[in-house]
Amino acid sequence: MRKEEKRASRDGWIGVLFALPWIIGFLLFTSYPLIASLCYSFTNYSVLRPPSYVGLANFKELAGDEVFRKSMGNTILYAVGAVPLSAVMAIGLAMLLNMKVKGMAFYRTMFFLPSLVPQIAMGTLFLWVFNSDYGLLNNMFKAVGISLPNWLGDPLWSKWTLILIAVWGCGQAMIIYLAGLQDVPVSLYEAAELDGAKLWAKTRHVTLPMISPVILFNVVMGIIGAVQTFAIPQLMFPGGAPARSTYMFAMYLYDNAFQNQRMGYASAMGWVMFVIILALTLISLKLSEKHVHYEGG
Amino acid sequence: MTIKGAVLVLVGAAVLLTAFTLSEAVVSRAAKKDRVTILYWEKWTGDEGEEMRKTVNFFNASQNKIFVKYLSISSVDQKTMLATAGGNPPDVAGLWANNLCQLSDAKAVIDLTDLAREKGITEATYIPAYWDEMTYRGGLWGLPSTPASIAMHVNRDLVPKEYATPETFPQTFEALDAMVDKISKKGKDGSLVMAGFLPGEPGWWHWAWPSWFGGKLVDGDKITIDTPEAERAFEWIAKYGKRFGISQVQSFSSGFGNFASPQDAFMSGKVASEIHGVYKANYIRIYSPKMNWFAVPFPHPENRPDLAGQTVVDSDVLCIPRGAKHPKEAFEFIAYVQRQDVMERLCSAHGKNSPLAKVSEKFLKNHPNKFIRLFDELARSPLAFHTPKTGIFKQVSDEITNAYQEVSTGGKTPKEALSGAQKRIDGLWATYQVQVLKK
Amino acid sequence: MSLNRKAAAHIALVVLSLIFFMPLLWMLSTSVKPIEETMKTPPQWIPSQFLWGNYPKAIEYRKEELGYIPFLVYARNTLLVTVLTVMGAVISNTLVAYSFARMKWKGRDLFFGVTLATMMVPFPVTMVPTFSLFKWLGWVGTYRPLWVPAFFGGAFSIFLLRQFFRTIPMELSEAAKIDGASEVQTFFDVILPLARPAVAVVALFTFMGTWNDFLGPLIYLVDQNTFTLSQGLQAYQTQHGGTPWNLLMAASCLVILPVMVVFFLAQKVFIQGIATSGLK
Repeated sequence: MRKEEKRASRDGWIGVLFALPWIIGFLLFTSYPLIASLCYSFTNYSVLRPPSYVGLANFKELAGDEVFRKSMGNTILYAVGAVPLSAVMAIGLAMLLNMKVKGMAFYRTMFFLPSLVPQIAMGTLFLWVFNSDYGLLNNMFKAVGISLPNWLGDPLWSKWTLILIAVWGCGQAMIIYLAGLQDVPVSLYEAAELDGAKLWAKTRHVTLPMISPVILFNVVMGIIGAVQTFAIPQLMFPGGAPARSTYMFAMYLYDNAFQNQRMGYASAMGWVMFVIILALTLISLKLSEKHVHYEGG
Repeated sequence: MTIKGAVLVLVGAAVLLTAFTLSEAVVSRAAKKDRVTILYWEKWTGDEGEEMRKTVNFFNASQNKIFVKYLSISSVDQKTMLATAGGNPPDVAGLWANNLCQLSDAKAVIDLTDLAREKGITEATYIPAYWDEMTYRGGLWGLPSTPASIAMHVNRDLVPKEYATPETFPQTFEALDAMVDKISKKGKDGSLVMAGFLPGEPGWWHWAWPSWFGGKLVDGDKITIDTPEAERAFEWIAKYGKRFGISQVQSFSSGFGNFASPQDAFMSGKVASEIHGVYKANYIRIYSPKMNWFAVPFPHPENRPDLAGQTVVDSDVLCIPRGAKHPKEAFEFIAYVQRQDVMERLCSAHGKNSPLAKVSEKFLKNHPNKFIRLFDELARSPLAFHTPKTGIFKQVSDEITNAYQEVSTGGKTPKEALSGAQKRIDGLWATYQVQVLKK
Repeated sequence: MSLNRKAAAHIALVVLSLIFFMPLLWMLSTSVKPIEETMKTPPQWIPSQFLWGNYPKAIEYRKEELGYIPFLVYARNTLLVTVLTVMGAVISNTLVAYSFARMKWKGRDLFFGVTLATMMVPFPVTMVPTFSLFKWLGWVGTYRPLWVPAFFGGAFSIFLLRQFFRTIPMELSEAAKIDGASEVQTFFDVILPLARPAVAVVALFTFMGTWNDFLGPLIYLVDQNTFTLSQGLQAYQTQHGGTPWNLLMAASCLVILPVMVVFFLAQKVFIQGIATSGLK
């Protein structure tokens, strides 16, 4: 009895020891910044001078800040476009690849390659592709007589460039879906076919439910990713041009922190966004209880 | 643990140690033992960077007490602010004049008044507009490295004979508009082929539009974006959208190449006239040397002849961040750059005018820009204006640029765009005054 | 599967992969063009001459055309940071994930839940205080803010590895313990060798993330000589002497190359790792 107790407590110590790097990391790089950020949000902190307490002034200003609302709105619209479309594309591609046609490895690489491209190269490349005068996209369609909008100059269409770029980079998610699809027992499909189910029915009643945990994971990560979108819009649309139509939340935060020297205000922004994301994630989890099926235990 | 594991750990530790040391070495300042080494961060790369490096080399060779180390830094204004905050700034920072107010308010740069006076550098040394840019709330926060002034550039081959000389080119906005209506060319499908003028090209000075029409951006303690003059300026801008068609302008503009390339709007003949700086001549010389062009002052409103001959002055400045390790030596270098011969060599190499009150005939005669006398004259005029002296200039500029984009894409009327901008700036300015200035 | 179905799938795959690859093909095509052809309307797919010389040009320091862009220096810097980060990620995350997966200690599962929750904290929220922390440490302007945190674990990699470790039967560990192995020995000699696929996934994701990282170097690196490739690419764009688009595309292709090569080599292990990890 005593030997086991000793063993258990020693195991406990070693367990914590193994986990120590993360415990330190968690405290230093996650908890501390999170709490500090909350503290900063009650100050005016210009980085060049020590922070000075201003109470709720930042939050009051945030409530009336039109640019904050605009950047949030842009980010939400972008997420509403990019997350579902990327998911549909990724799942669709994964399903195609799952059909085990010849050359699957080749196609898989083709779809995955775009997600390897560094954001800077992507920004420049797509300035090229979307240019309405000499760009690839518009000229291709001009050749068949279809006139596409001015992606880069028209505030109504600029967000679509970002959404399309997000869909182009869905390769990483596709690989994860593919792995998930390969786990779906063939017996379920056979049973469905016996019942006379066609492709769409099989997808709806077998495939999607079986990969629903993966979908949930990707949707949540997609929302978080959307909030952090920075590099590509910063490179393609400086200042959120035209007319702040592509001014994303992370860009406004960065500008406030590093350009306008208002780190306190930026921290307040960050926390408001964090709370919103937490709420969205909890809502998704709650909703998912009805629709997401976990295998066994 | 196995031997393999132990070896791995040792190798890993060795790599870590090397990496730590390496990364330190990459970023450490190389110090020369016999001299004081000062760090100079500058925004310039390419040819402009090379010319400044030459000035640095001349300075290093001219004495043996101070060694200046030149570093090209992108986003040099932000990086300098961060470095100053971190207590590790460069000794000399090459920023823009419009950074000075924000830095001065944040007490992030040193007041150079006394250091300058010791060297005989005073207000009388400079053209008034440039001295005004460097001073704020009773202090001197920087000195110029190279200045600029701007004017209207005209492509002689694209304008009809009656407008094709500096004397006869339109001098008022109304006359300019009439010319634009006459000479602009449209394609069969209504798209723009050549525009007489486009306010969006190059789009570097959107904050100045109210000022061109006589509006003031800073009025005592207030920032005034939404003034009758500003509305008039934006009405004028909106007319260009109506004249050519908003989407036509957008497609047309999207075809313009980089300003430093043959596909630039002016150099490729897509616009007949363009507002630009004294350094435009450099690019014309490189990318379109056969172009037949001239420069004239930017137009003024017909009913405001008192505004004739305005220009925007804009300078690159040298300043000393707070916490710099060697401020005295840093100022030695800055003072060297202010010497007439040194300044004129650098400005001529950059293709810019000189900020000094005294200018040599040699400078004007041998300058690569044929129209340097015009740019020099414009800068000396009492009407020359610069960016508004406020610590929140960046936000002001962003708001006016945003208003410009809203108006030129037809999303808002000038009044809506400007009053929106005014409202936001009022909020930001009030907060800034309470949180930053009163402390 | 019916022949029609297979044919349709084939056609769809070919069309889609063409669409996905087209921008990259455009990048390649532009990278060997002479500068005048890069902006022609309508766009020209096949260059009139194949200027393979653009590639060495993109790398060299050439005053007249590029100004000061020491591409190879940037590559060295990026390699340095990436290698350190991957090392840190592999070492720390395997240890931590093993602890969560196979060692018992008080509060373990609760802490794991909290770990998952940290994945929800968007980077912009912690950006400012983290920057202040590094400023206080005096690390701004060095590489340390970029690679040191990797040695302290990351929620995503921990999650991935922990799920993987849980799929290894407990009997293996128990057998080792009966043989007299300590916890540490069990980890190194029994479990870790089995974890190659999952470790490969962590290494590859970390490699890709660090190689392409833009915001981190932007905030923390100051001296131009210390910049990474992502900032180097940006320098091509902001050149005062005019943007050499073809050289920029050539440089971009070069930057993508190492990541592509690593992916090709590690593809099998990578896919296997994803399949057996807890991601699904």
